[in-house]
Amino acid sequence: MRPITGGKIKPVEVLVLFALVIILLFVGVPIAIALGLSSVLFLLVYSDGSLSSIAQTLFSAFHGHYTLLAIPFFILASTFMSTGGVARRIIRFAIATVGHVRGGLAIASVLACMMFAALSGSSPATVVAVGSIVIAGMREVGYSREFAAGVICNAGTLGILIPPSIVMVVYAAATDVSVGRMFLAGVVPGLIAGLMLMAGIYIAARWKNLPAQPWAGWGEIFAAGRDAIWGLLLIVIILGGIYGGIFTPTEAAAVSSVYAFLIANFVYRDMGPFSAENRQTGNILFRVVSTLWHPDTKKALFEAGKLTILLMFIIANALILKHVLTEERIPQMITEIMLDVGFGPVLFLVVVNLILLIGGQFMEPSGLLVIVAPLIFPIAIELGIDPIHLGIIMVVNMEIGMITPPVGLNLFVTAGVAHMSVLRVVKAALPFVGIMFVFLILVTYVPSISTWLPTLLMGPEIITN
Amino acid sequence: MADGSNKTLGEHFNQAEETLIAVSMGLMVLITFANVVARYVFNDNLLWALETTVFLFAWLVLLGISYCAKKSLHLGVDVAINVAPARVGKIMACVSVGICLAFSILLLKGSWDYWYPFVTTRAFLETDDVPIPEMLQFLSVWLNEGEKYEKLPRFIPYFALPLGLALLTFRYVQVAWRVFAGETDRIIASHEADHRRED
Repeated sequence: MRPITGGKIKPVEVLVLFALVIILLFVGVPIAIALGLSSVLFLLVYSDGSLSSIAQTLFSAFHGHYTLLAIPFFILASTFMSTGGVARRIIRFAIATVGHVRGGLAIASVLACMMFAALSGSSPATVVAVGSIVIAGMREVGYSREFAAGVICNAGTLGILIPPSIVMVVYAAATDVSVGRMFLAGVVPGLIAGLMLMAGIYIAARWKNLPAQPWAGWGEIFAAGRDAIWGLLLIVIILGGIYGGIFTPTEAAAVSSVYAFLIANFVYRDMGPFSAENRQTGNILFRVVSTLWHPDTKKALFEAGKLTILLMFIIANALILKHVLTEERIPQMITEIMLDVGFGPVLFLVVVNLILLIGGQFMEPSGLLVIVAPLIFPIAIELGIDPIHLGIIMVVNMEIGMITPPVGLNLFVTAGVAHMSVLRVVKAALPFVGIMFVFLILVTYVPSISTWLPTLLMGPEIITN
Repeated sequence: MADGSNKTLGEHFNQAEETLIAVSMGLMVLITFANVVARYVFNDNLLWALETTVFLFAWLVLLGISYCAKKSLHLGVDVAINVAPARVGKIMACVSVGICLAFSILLLKGSWDYWYPFVTTRAFLETDDVPIPEMLQFLSVWLNEGEKYEKLPRFIPYFALPLGLALLTFRYVQVAWRVFAGETDRIIASHEADHRRED
């Protein structure tokens, strides 16, 4: 064995590590195992770390990162909210508000995605919940399948930009910034991205002469709004609870799961013993308690558990890779190289965007963030870039990664709900990806879009690292 | 769904795993929620809540990865597999299942090395806040020279590591068998196959 090599790893050996990850991915190894095994091999060959320290890192993904505990709860809340009824009510409200504009149904779909994004921390979940209803609706009134799929595929990515967001939780855990601050930072960019997509659709609608819905009147807006309000209150609980100091982000996530469970079972009655298809008679008290073990509840818990396992396995292995990188002082090495070359903030952000865009093609967003964030975070601090701003840039890059092949989770999900081949969805999404690119440039070079709201409400960011 | 009477052992196991996943999720939410309620309604703090939830989280994921391996649910990149000719695809599947086996065996070894001291030389180490059920006190006679545990000893939650990786290794041996027998050509979740229908 070689002696401890802290700081003596050559850049080429790091490249070998990343090349190994990519090769394993293309052979068809699960992402998590590609990350984990590459790190283990790197550690055994180039360093004298032990296998038991790897196992310890694996366990610390749970025991050492309390922030990550918010992930299963946000997934669960989103599962309860995806039972169909919530999305349907939000869509009705969106159509009542903006449906009468030219291209109204598509614009309303974006609005519905934005509202659903405020209940759900995940992009694919947003695509499924909203897309499975509005794509068919748009087809009926004369939109092409491509246009409908392209709109949903892109608007769905707002799921990770508008709080709550699983990707932001991961960024916060990887860099020790505040989850609450990240959530707040996502609000303004989320609104701008949504408006930009809507504007793009409006121009396309004028040009292609797409239909408008009849104006339903203020009565319908209020009726639909009152119906949708129970779902939309979730975001108030989450943001209000965190900023009011009532609970931690993890507790906010758990409370929102319980809230979503109660709304789905007792208010909207989309699932459980009170839903239309399962209506039972009998003791009302027993029926209330029986929601806890009702098959619908079990199914939601299981689905959320499954997603948590898949996501956390990737994150845990990305943490192993991160552990190996930081152990070998590779972030410092990269920082030195980049500063020696004379990178300024502007050029640095170009490079960050390129790395993330390319990485986003192949990797699951959370895993990529865990690996890339610690690598570029020290340089960003050195160059005076706000950590929250950096986080939002990373999230927007992840959004674009989700709608570009080969690994664009949103593409696959949209293909499923629109009954199209992935390749056709890729083409359909392309014009809107252009809008997201413009948005990325905007967010990258105008930091105040991201930092204005958190600074306003929580005071200026204090850099601790 | 098959009738309760004619289920195979595998189906029973599936159902047990699925129920465990659902129950752990439910418990994690309930415990965390209970802590919030205790703080605001009863002005109390459930000290053990956070640590217990974290251990449930670890058990959920570490034991759940073998379930997902069995069902080929783990996410991966399937572009190369989808375009590869059948023969090459088979080789790729064999290579990747071999890699998964290597990973799970190496980590099983690591997990055992990590866990073993906690049950032997360092069996006196306890968790911070999780209480120990009285019925488990026999462990203090076996492992702690008769000195009563005040809190749950650490080797119990940490056992998720060796157990989870042993299960993962077992599942990948089964998957390897299926790959060699030609019953399956990939070990990751497939995106194309589900959605190829067009209308």
